[in-house]
Amino acid sequence: MNSQTKKVMVIGGGIAGLTAAWELARAGVEVALVEKAAFLGGHGIQYACKATDECQQCGACGVEKMLANVIDEPRIRVYLAAEAAEVTGDGPFTVTLRASGSQPGAVDAACGQGYDKDPGACAAARGYSVHNAVFYKADGGFDPDRVAAPETVTADAVVVATGFTPFNPDEKPTYRYRELANVVTGLDLERTKRIYGEVRRPSDGAVPRKMAFIQCVGSRDERLGHLWCSQACCPYALRSALAARHKHPDLDITVFYMDIQNTTNSFDAFYEKCRQSLRFVRTIPVDMYETEDGGIRTRFMAEEDGLPVEEIFDLVVLSVGIMPGADNPVLAGTLGIELGTEGFFARPDLLNTSATARGGLFVAGTAGGPMTISGAMASAGQSAAAVLHYLGRA
Amino acid sequence: MTAKLETAMEQIEIATGVLVVGGGMTGVATALEVAQQGYPVTLIEAGDQVGPAAESRPRTGLPDVQRLNDMAARLAKTDSVEVLTAARLDAAAGVAGDFKVWLSTAEDVLERRVGAIVVAAEFDTTPLFDAYGLAPGESVIGQSEVERRLAEDPRAFADKTVAFVAGFAQNGNPLVMQRIFHSVKALQAGGAAGVYVYVGDLKVADDGLERQYRLGRDGGAIYFKLRQAPAIAVSEAGAVIGFHDPVVRQQIEVAADCLVVEEALGVGPECADLAAILRIDIGPQGFLQSDNIYRFPVATNREGIFVAGASREVRSLPWALADARNAALRVAEVLGDGTRLVPRDKAVVDIGKCTFCLTCYRCCPHGAIYWQAENKPVISPVACQGCGICASECPMDAIQIGGFSDEQIRSQIGAKLADVNGDPAIVAFCCQNSALVAGEMAAAFRMNLPAGLRTIQVPCAGKIDLQYILDAFVSGADGVLVMACHPGNCKSERGNTYAGWRVEDAQRLIAGAGLEPERLRFATLAANMGTDFQAIVIDMEQKIRDLGKSRLR
Repeated sequence: MNSQTKKVMVIGGGIAGLTAAWELARAGVEVALVEKAAFLGGHGIQYACKATDECQQCGACGVEKMLANVIDEPRIRVYLAAEAAEVTGDGPFTVTLRASGSQPGAVDAACGQGYDKDPGACAAARGYSVHNAVFYKADGGFDPDRVAAPETVTADAVVVATGFTPFNPDEKPTYRYRELANVVTGLDLERTKRIYGEVRRPSDGAVPRKMAFIQCVGSRDERLGHLWCSQACCPYALRSALAARHKHPDLDITVFYMDIQNTTNSFDAFYEKCRQSLRFVRTIPVDMYETEDGGIRTRFMAEEDGLPVEEIFDLVVLSVGIMPGADNPVLAGTLGIELGTEGFFARPDLLNTSATARGGLFVAGTAGGPMTISGAMASAGQSAAAVLHYLGRA
Repeated sequence: MTAKLETAMEQIEIATGVLVVGGGMTGVATALEVAQQGYPVTLIEAGDQVGPAAESRPRTGLPDVQRLNDMAARLAKTDSVEVLTAARLDAAAGVAGDFKVWLSTAEDVLERRVGAIVVAAEFDTTPLFDAYGLAPGESVIGQSEVERRLAEDPRAFADKTVAFVAGFAQNGNPLVMQRIFHSVKALQAGGAAGVYVYVGDLKVADDGLERQYRLGRDGGAIYFKLRQAPAIAVSEAGAVIGFHDPVVRQQIEVAADCLVVEEALGVGPECADLAAILRIDIGPQGFLQSDNIYRFPVATNREGIFVAGASREVRSLPWALADARNAALRVAEVLGDGTRLVPRDKAVVDIGKCTFCLTCYRCCPHGAIYWQAENKPVISPVACQGCGICASECPMDAIQIGGFSDEQIRSQIGAKLADVNGDPAIVAFCCQNSALVAGEMAAAFRMNLPAGLRTIQVPCAGKIDLQYILDAFVSGADGVLVMACHPGNCKSERGNTYAGWRVEDAQRLIAGAGLEPERLRFATLAANMGTDFQAIVIDMEQKIRDLGKSRLR
């Protein structure tokens, strides 16, 4: 196989893009890794560890690990705050990159006084990870030795690993997400835990005593036409809930759900543990009201007798789902490939779900449909293998 | 980020043959992908056919079987692939790049030398009649049976009412639901009078399942989602399924001509034997992979041995084929061009000190140690992951790890403590896979850290000798932290366990020397949690301030 002189563009620097880029680079391919944001790692790099007294296999630290692999890999050229503007040719492809408009945070300004001054701003300016530090100059801006400026790149193949857009809770206005301080999304919660090391409620920074997770916010929703399970939210909510209770054993947690989805092969034991320490209610509350002290009052049908119950929670977490990337329609047009019914990139061949309908163009991770971190890694590995297969034949 | 030391390398020869165990579609796809990369393959299958016919995988909802047969035919025509049917793996020896395997067929026992092995086992299906208190019969059948009858005659259930029960005898998984969705669709197409599905949790976390669920309901199927199994009464005429609905407050009963009972999908019965022969860890539910993020997606605890498809999880065929491609990628990384540059000093046994006690062989989590002639233990530089558990467990101190020799680590302790002045002096031994990175994050983010904190990098917490801990106290540490990965997150599976044991031993020893045991703490954390690192070290500093200076300082 003569892939030594080949070049591949990977669009998207989340866990799928990082994995695909690293696998290709290890096989001797030159990789152009293009990320729209000002940091690598995508959503996953903002997630917190969900271990209790043992690892719960959420994979968040795996994103950190893969990022470390990528920054150590000389065959990967990194473009940050960049996006594909135009693609011509038919393998090789000529891709014109342009600035996405994202800006790196000013690290010194955000962290200069110490992390505790403004942890959120400091973590964001640092790209959430010690490994993103190599991309920034101390006085702000990208280090030109590590971040290539947008340019025109010739690539023998392109991997689309642009990830997902989290469901916007504004589309379900009765949750009053933007209006009520203590209604947050799962991603907000992850960022809070990553930044402060524990669960806190936004209104007063206190650790909640009673909290609720509401599953399937935006997923499995016939009214919205979202006929898919996001696959990652039951795992993240349950692991997050167990981890929070491990840190704060008195924390009272309710999970409102439709159907609990599996985590890993350990699911039987894991779910048993969840049932012992969390309350599960099989219904989805709809209306949220604020109490005087910032609590969230909600109403739901009790399972036993079908009668309405009212309860107040200090913090309500909306387990928002995985939606197709907001840029998908534009990018699909640029690349000349199709989107499927749900709005993710179409993967027409069940025998190779990394292939698009167009030769030389491949899909990895949640760009092609909802999946977990481990799923995205398997998907990206498959894409890398399929790319090598394609390059070997070309 | 981690220290990399220049070291003398040597080139070694790697066997480029590959053994694939299992002739279902996962095995066929793996063999094709590996062969395409130019490596010769031996594929063994216990049955007498290879391809879709070799699978117990349910045939519902899969792509055109003709394409699968084509793949199997392509494999048969590939010169570099040797296919052995009615064959099994009897024994294996050696390490990545140099395995010897013994294969028995109907006529013969064959020996092959291979560089890598991929286990591509298939599912085992078990109908769960017992769990429902039912016996299979005229009106009670298993999921496989309804699929078989529908494949034979699409109208086998025309004008019949069919009910399914699932999710009460097991938690189940999306593949169990996928089979039901496909049978529902087939029954609707075949003119069934009614279809009812009684289900616990509807497992729809795989591509397209939510839509299939909706399509089935569009076609008239009725789903009852219950927390407990419904009451089932079976007679010759059929089955009556009833439950109490709390919302409408009444008993709901359905008379079905046929009741279909869910099946468990599990790992094949041959997997336990394969794990023993290949010395790979068995994970939950008997799968050939521990539940450890370092194994994502197809790795095992041993380099050069990979698991794909049903060997490691219950998922649909597209995911099994993704595994096959991942396995091929990993195989190519191990085999390369048939040679490999490895560090000479990755892990070296001093034969003069070795008393052949076998401790290293037994404790190596990666199966990287083997024996040469004249009782000489050898650590394979290809298979070794450099964790150092063997070096720390060796009672004769006969093993040294490149970059992390006892001398290299011990000399850092005193040197690093030399410039600690009035503050509590804390030595933190940090696993480079977790605590070290978290500590670097805490420092880079300018989190508030103790002035007297000194970190020492180790390849794995399993490399933290009892002696290092004692050295730290003797060198003037007021407190010592041993920082490891969370249980279940150790790249070397048990390094953190060994570290925890050694801390317990060391606590007894320092107590004997008159030091408070609280001066030594074992903590676990993840690489991405700078805040956890900070919380642990700040807490330790406070404890030390409360206790005062060590009497050894």
